[in-house]
Amino acid sequence: MTTTCGYCGVGCRLETHVHDGRIASITPAMDGPANLGHTCLKGRFAHQFSRNRERLATPLIRDARGEAPRPATWDEAMERIVAELTRIRSAHGPNAIAGLASSRATNEDCYAMQRLMRAAIGTNNIDNCSRVCHSPTSYALRKALGLSGATGSFSDFDHADATILIGANPTEGHPVVGARIKQATLRGMKLVTIDPRRIELADYGVLHLSPRPGSNAAVMLGIAHVIERDGFVNRAFVDARTEGFDALLELLPSYAPDAVEAISGVPAEGIEEAARIYAEAANACFSWGLGVTEHKYGSEVVQLVCDVALMTGKIGRPGSALLPLRGQNNVQGSSDMGALPDTYTAYRSVEDEDVARSFEDAWGVPLSRRKGYTIPQMFDAAVAGDLRAMYIFGEDVAQTDPNTAHVVHALESLDFLVCQDIFETETTKHADVILPASSFLEKSGTFTNAERRVQLVAPAIDPPGEARTDFEIIKAVSRALGHELGWETPADAMDEIAALTPDWAGISHERLGRRGLQWPVAPDGTDAPILYERSFTRKGGRAHFAALPYKEPGDAADDEFPLILVTGRRLQHYNAGTMTRRTGNVELMDADLLEIHPDDAARLWIADGDRISVRSRVGRIELPAQVTERIEPGHVFTTFHFPETRTNLLVGASADVNTSCPEYKVVAVDVRPIGEEPAKVPALAGGA
Amino acid sequence: MRVAVDGIDVEVADGATVLDAAGAAGRWVPTLCFDERQAPFGACRACLVGVEGSAAPLPACTTPCRDGMAVATEDPAARRVATAVVELVLSELPEPPASHTELAQVADRLGVGEPRWPGEVHPKVEADTRHPYLAFRHELCISCGRCVRACDELQGTFALTATGRGFGANVAAGLDEGFRASACVSCGACADTCPTDAITEVSLLP
Repeated sequence: MTTTCGYCGVGCRLETHVHDGRIASITPAMDGPANLGHTCLKGRFAHQFSRNRERLATPLIRDARGEAPRPATWDEAMERIVAELTRIRSAHGPNAIAGLASSRATNEDCYAMQRLMRAAIGTNNIDNCSRVCHSPTSYALRKALGLSGATGSFSDFDHADATILIGANPTEGHPVVGARIKQATLRGMKLVTIDPRRIELADYGVLHLSPRPGSNAAVMLGIAHVIERDGFVNRAFVDARTEGFDALLELLPSYAPDAVEAISGVPAEGIEEAARIYAEAANACFSWGLGVTEHKYGSEVVQLVCDVALMTGKIGRPGSALLPLRGQNNVQGSSDMGALPDTYTAYRSVEDEDVARSFEDAWGVPLSRRKGYTIPQMFDAAVAGDLRAMYIFGEDVAQTDPNTAHVVHALESLDFLVCQDIFETETTKHADVILPASSFLEKSGTFTNAERRVQLVAPAIDPPGEARTDFEIIKAVSRALGHELGWETPADAMDEIAALTPDWAGISHERLGRRGLQWPVAPDGTDAPILYERSFTRKGGRAHFAALPYKEPGDAADDEFPLILVTGRRLQHYNAGTMTRRTGNVELMDADLLEIHPDDAARLWIADGDRISVRSRVGRIELPAQVTERIEPGHVFTTFHFPETRTNLLVGASADVNTSCPEYKVVAVDVRPIGEEPAKVPALAGGA
Repeated sequence: MRVAVDGIDVEVADGATVLDAAGAAGRWVPTLCFDERQAPFGACRACLVGVEGSAAPLPACTTPCRDGMAVATEDPAARRVATAVVELVLSELPEPPASHTELAQVADRLGVGEPRWPGEVHPKVEADTRHPYLAFRHELCISCGRCVRACDELQGTFALTATGRGFGANVAAGLDEGFRASACVSCGACADTCPTDAITEVSLLP
């Protein structure tokens, strides 16, 4: 059976091989457009979680807070959900209820979930986990260019003469694209890496820059300054296809390379060289990850990235593309599907009268024109008592969202919490009802990868025990609440999506075939591997330059918290680790580690492997240290794969100004050794 | 340009190989060291074909097409050599390859049975299972180089190395320290391409 991988946003096509109702092996599909016959250790090997004995196999109900949940029947669970949600809606109104869709689930699951919240409950309080990763990318691309998606495809790396990779570590986070970029560099593509860590790909590039966390905007403005100063602006393109360039020009004199060096710590000559490499290349790409977005001004940096591409005209043709590396398998699709508090499918506003009417006509119920809560607003509202119930599907907010103490406080403040997941998680500890759901190996539907490619997902095995597919569960809950979704299969849901969404008009499961389609897809099935070849999808067809100055990040090192913590992902594990921690991958990596530079480690009397304390303004954790030169002095790095570490206790409330995406990448911390062993003498004087 | 494969005319692009042309014509050519994800290597000589005007058989995977070329995939001399190559490869193995492997399928299709040349075979050694997913079964290695090239050309990790020479040729991770201690990133591309199960998944070991 051929399916699409459920780990990262690369969208590898996989062949599943089943024996006795279990996955025996997974191999890459030779014709997968994103993976070209390759996969990584997550897609290929990390499938044993699907039959792990801790899998939820029956609904669970908690009769009273503090008690352990007990197994229950589906009927009992449904009755409880309907009774509680109905009671809370009549007492406090529909806006006292909120739902979270999952970027790990299919487009059809997410579409069903937003319809359940909007039509069955009557609220726009629906959001998904892209809020905490690439919402700034989505916002910025829509503002600058028109559509919320990569402007090209991964194959653009094969045609590019140069690429600037910023705030991403693809050989660990997106290994198959990482391998593809590496192969491109071996064939001669010039790679510039910009990251506070010296990532593996830096060794394959021609230039590595290590800006201080939070100073990406200055680096982009510095590159724009050099491009303008040295006459690399593509005037014909700027005049014919863009607006707002003059405002950017007014800003650039303040960002000479020397000035940028003072802000970012990147040597002036590094800025000069990066600008020249990008500008002189006939075709060049930009690619970025959460190191760009998860900042106070993340959405502004993405707009500045667009500026640099626009001023050189490097967009809308093979080899010249903007390629955000989306984190989760369906983080593109969950937002495309309207699982957002302010938009229906394809990012059309809930305040748009015509759009809202089209959905009212299709669903036969009146719909709210008022924007709902974003995820952080949901937690604030729960603590304030305005939000009384949540239905969280496929997301472990208590482990992955920032400011864990606040999240837990919010979950405990709710009158009623439903979780729908494949394992018990930190979040289900606070749930009143837990519904056993399905992994990507057990369901059908579609995922949309980071290239906007909608690809089919096909079940290889059955869900364990009484577990059901998310699609079936959401259908049943909606029916029990009195709103019949009216679809037999996920393919029926896709037909409704296509009928109500012009950009998806030509998509049907039948038409997707083995290679998928990249939206927008015309009614005749023509898809769009490259966007903006002739015009931009904004009013007047012109792209928009943003003139945005550098501003300081939300947190900064000081005497009490002298180091800056950056968080991210490692090759062997995936986000909250719910799946990968239950596979052989733990043999390859079994704990979160804090990367620290040898200079800092020596100064703090920390040796490799020592257990250390990390304290921020909002929390404190303990974990082992890993002394490495991959990280710059003054910075430390760790992951959030293991719940026992609880890394996100350290992350505060600072968030992107436009999208409230949390600032996971800049946290001032104090690091020191702990334990009863006498402190070791740091590398004898000579090593310091 | 146009090429005739067993009398079937096909149009191929500049730079296409004879193996590409045979594929376009729907004609089978046995291969062992070839993987479409990798650059042609030309090591195993299983893909020999007859080419009009050439005195000796030529390897299809590394021979570029010329306009007007005439190829015979079942040229008797070429097929005789290719069959002998596969038979020699089999003669070094301590046991016949598992039926799902590419080597077993090529041998079967060429009608190679029990090798006619008894003699020294690779000694059976315990499978190397120090990695949670990837296992070596060194006695099954036929030195086709596919795993090494998959690691280089597909993944870009360069963790695998061809070791030894002659009868002792084999493959190793890093300095023969096993997958885990080497630079291996566990992508499994080597196991995916291996035509004999010399590298396979631990969970699929017999």
